[in-house]
Amino acid sequence: MTTELASTPAPDMSASPPRRPWDFDRLLPYLLVIPAALALALVSIYPIYEAIKASFTKYLYGRPVGSAGFSNYIDVAHDPVFWQSMGTTVEFVLLAVTAETVLGLALALLVINEFKGVKFVRLSILLPMTIAPVVVGVIWRLIYSSETGFVDPLFVALGLGAPRVLSHETSAFVGLVVVDIWEWTPLLFLIALAGLQSIPQEPLEAAAVDGAGPVRIFFQHTLPLLIPILAVGVILRLIDAIGTFDQIYVLTRGGPGTATQLISIYAYNTAFNFTDYGHGTAMLIALLVFVSLLILVAVALMRRAAARTS
Amino acid sequence: MGRFLKGLALVVIVICCLLPFWWLFVVSLRHRVDIFAGPAAWPTNPTTENYQALFGQYHMGSFLINSLVVVSVSVIISLLIGTPAAYALARFDLPGRLGSVGLMSALFVRMVPAILLVVPFYIALGRFGLLNNRLGLIIIYTGINTSFVIWMMQSFLAEIPKEIEEAALVDGDSRWSAMWRIILPLAGPGLAATAIFAVIATYNDFLIALTMTSTPKSQTVPVGISTLIGKIQVEWGPMAAAGVIGAVPIIIFATIVQRHFVRGMTMGAVK
Amino acid sequence: MNEIPEDPKTVSRRNVLRGVGYGAAFAATAPILAACSSGTSGGTTSTSPSPGDTANSPSGKITIGSFQDPAMKPFREVYVKKFTEQTGIQVDYQETAYDTWYQNSKSDGLQKTGAYDIYVMDDNWVPEYAAGGIIQSLDKLGLKVNPNILPKGLDQGYWPPRSGPKLAAFKDTPPELFALVIIDDVNMLYYNKNHFSTPPKTWDDIYTAMKSKATPPNLYGWAARGVKGNPSVMTYLPLLNSYGGNFANDDWTPGFAGPEGVGALERLLSFLPYMSPSTPEMDTDQETGLLLQGKAMALTEYTGTAVSAVDNPDSSKVVGMIDFATTPSQVKAGPAIGTFICGIASAAPNVPAAKAFLEWFTSDEIQTDFARNGGSAAVTSTALSDSEAVSKYRWLPAIAESVNNAVPKPRTPDEPKFEDILGTQINLAVVEALAQGGNYTQIATAHLKTAAEQMQAMLDQNKSVYFG
Repeated sequence: MTTELASTPAPDMSASPPRRPWDFDRLLPYLLVIPAALALALVSIYPIYEAIKASFTKYLYGRPVGSAGFSNYIDVAHDPVFWQSMGTTVEFVLLAVTAETVLGLALALLVINEFKGVKFVRLSILLPMTIAPVVVGVIWRLIYSSETGFVDPLFVALGLGAPRVLSHETSAFVGLVVVDIWEWTPLLFLIALAGLQSIPQEPLEAAAVDGAGPVRIFFQHTLPLLIPILAVGVILRLIDAIGTFDQIYVLTRGGPGTATQLISIYAYNTAFNFTDYGHGTAMLIALLVFVSLLILVAVALMRRAAARTS
Repeated sequence: MGRFLKGLALVVIVICCLLPFWWLFVVSLRHRVDIFAGPAAWPTNPTTENYQALFGQYHMGSFLINSLVVVSVSVIISLLIGTPAAYALARFDLPGRLGSVGLMSALFVRMVPAILLVVPFYIALGRFGLLNNRLGLIIIYTGINTSFVIWMMQSFLAEIPKEIEEAALVDGDSRWSAMWRIILPLAGPGLAATAIFAVIATYNDFLIALTMTSTPKSQTVPVGISTLIGKIQVEWGPMAAAGVIGAVPIIIFATIVQRHFVRGMTMGAVK
Repeated sequence: MNEIPEDPKTVSRRNVLRGVGYGAAFAATAPILAACSSGTSGGTTSTSPSPGDTANSPSGKITIGSFQDPAMKPFREVYVKKFTEQTGIQVDYQETAYDTWYQNSKSDGLQKTGAYDIYVMDDNWVPEYAAGGIIQSLDKLGLKVNPNILPKGLDQGYWPPRSGPKLAAFKDTPPELFALVIIDDVNMLYYNKNHFSTPPKTWDDIYTAMKSKATPPNLYGWAARGVKGNPSVMTYLPLLNSYGGNFANDDWTPGFAGPEGVGALERLLSFLPYMSPSTPEMDTDQETGLLLQGKAMALTEYTGTAVSAVDNPDSSKVVGMIDFATTPSQVKAGPAIGTFICGIASAAPNVPAAKAFLEWFTSDEIQTDFARNGGSAAVTSTALSDSEAVSKYRWLPAIAESVNNAVPKPRTPDEPKFEDILGTQINLAVVEALAQGGNYTQIATAHLKTAAEQMQAMLDQNKSVYFG
């Protein structure tokens, strides 16, 4: 086999002798792709098929009891808690991702130039996003807790009242946003840093020679070049933030009240706490449609960025 | 003055990033009574009792073994099936836009938040009797990791100049042997980085493992950590110790692949 | 609205025919209505064991799963081992957080994973677990029930309930025993004798006392579990019951949004100025911590704390100072029952041994021992009135009295959902009242109204189950 001459369907690979039927090399690409395709189908097409089926099934106490038609979807559309959770999710995602983008960019600008210890600083900034979100939740629960944390004593020492972060609706929500910022600013920082490093320096230097200040150079020259790459990070983060679950599960379980009940928590509880797989999957399918649109946007942006950095 | 401010800012930033880790570490070394007595910057009167409890009473040993098995098996399998596919996508023009469809579906699997798939995964595993079973977890993680391997490896392989292979083909190698003899060694560093990223992502997963498992027989480390957060009683010390155990291997791995992090997190879109 | 099909048997059969891989699961396919198709009458006490069971004595291993609770401490540390010593059957005891365990056990039973033999449950889970085929009928398995078990506790294990309102869908189904009570837990009043010379009789008495004596943050007048969901509900129910309100009325409509329920919640909110500002994030551990540090005058709590901590100098600074009474009355007495109750999993790998364990643990001998060594809330009348036990553990008579006065939660499979709804709103009301420092009537009215609406919406979704 190894001594056979190469023949491939790839047009740019010339030097192909006349094709033979059942040529191993001709089938090779398909043979290479099939196992992976099966694995992917197993975790995408099959579960989505199951989800669609479940979303049209009526479940009673965890058991399927017949067809539901569109009633699961209709119930979800009329469920005020669903819309409230969607609202909370949107609020959370927008607040967190905006803050992360701004902070990430600022951090990148701060460490773009080499200096002694820059490696250590960059590594420190990187670490929060490497560890498991559950551990992030644990860490911040240890920090926020009125019993064991340092936030309350710190505020008291500063002459302020103890905030008791997890005891109030607003503070718990803000506390969650802070956790997300701590964990995910690194991602936007890294992307911004990579983007900054890929920007050609000559135009910037020319602008400086023309007497432009650093602020003007940033907004007129750097930022426009950075935006296509930064956009990839933002959209990836948006998609990911919509599914935020682990940290909330550990920190608040959606409380107090429903202050931190993102759609992920609500759908999870509907499906697994109340074994109402029908309504749970209906919610998730609706969300999946929306997220898929975002993914399409992400793909377009990623193609552009990949073309630019390579 | 500017330099001073910048230095100050850097110190504050590093503290903000690292203090929470330090806090976790300190709590994990304190006695229960001390934890309640108030915050401390240093583990006064340190103890390993939390770690002992973790491995004695709270099954951390079996969580670690489960994580090890599930992570290593699924990552190896997904490298084995994902890398050839990535090679095919990087080197051949598959007919009928098959290539881009393949890449798109891989990307979709990778990017879709786990919460959107976890209910159908659960229903499916239940159907095949694979709930609370490491095999069930391995199957799901293999599929998800494969999507990641395809994207990352495709991006690494595309960087290897085609001329190298063409030279081999002209010399009489088959595609198959060129792939093994020439390309794979060149892709080695990329492969290693991909593997480490897949390990990190799989080891860190919580939601899928939470839903698919129910006893220490098959629960992984993150799920094990969450079981320490009872509503009735929070075991702060062991919980912190578990956090440390959960974080340490990942921090080591992350330090190794630092250079590739952007690429890993953006699926090769930004290098 | 979709209805449950008229004939439950078709449902179960269709599920079987669907064949969705539940293959071997015929016995458990009767989801909703395992009981419906049953020919056995729901006997009140004991049924004779089926002949096959006695042939060879049970052996091997069983897995028991439970939520974490201080009351499980003796069970976990003493009795599980004792059972192994006496029978040779190994016991693997797994414990996890309440919410997690609720999900895990349900998933295990619904999907027939077979990871557990016995589920330790909260009593309000029984209707859902029985109706959903998550646990097996103990009557059908021929479990022998000890006739000395207090009837109020035993009743919690029947589905459909032996007394009280029944869901329309189950009104002709004979009750069967699906779960066996193992700890007769009830809410009791714990009070520090330094601050109360006699046990406070009414909620107003408690309020009067805290107004004159509480000095927060050194001494709080009251402590409560304020976390959303079940903990908040457990704080509210003793008040609701004693103010004459109902969680659910006999026609299943919410019974807490009227003046009784609002009055009860207002009373709780009026305690807040004398309570810890962290109340919304407090659960049992933190709440009882305040009492045991001598920083709270009183609270209502299950018996587990008494058993495990009150007189233990390692955890308590008030050894001997805490006394017990039935929860305060207002228009009537109304402690909430919250028994620990065991079911056998739908796919339990070792049913004979599981059955043997339940029979063994609820026997007179073990229950008396259970009460004598640690003062646990035993389930038999003989154990709770055992003179040796009572002389050692002063709370046992209060338990017996509380069980007899106890008001059960609504017996419907949707109860945990209702509890989540109500518990979220109580938690919110507490958060808001803390922030505003007043305006209690409005806050209570608004949140209870929201909870009632959400509960009503759930009833409407399952109309046919409730109202036929």
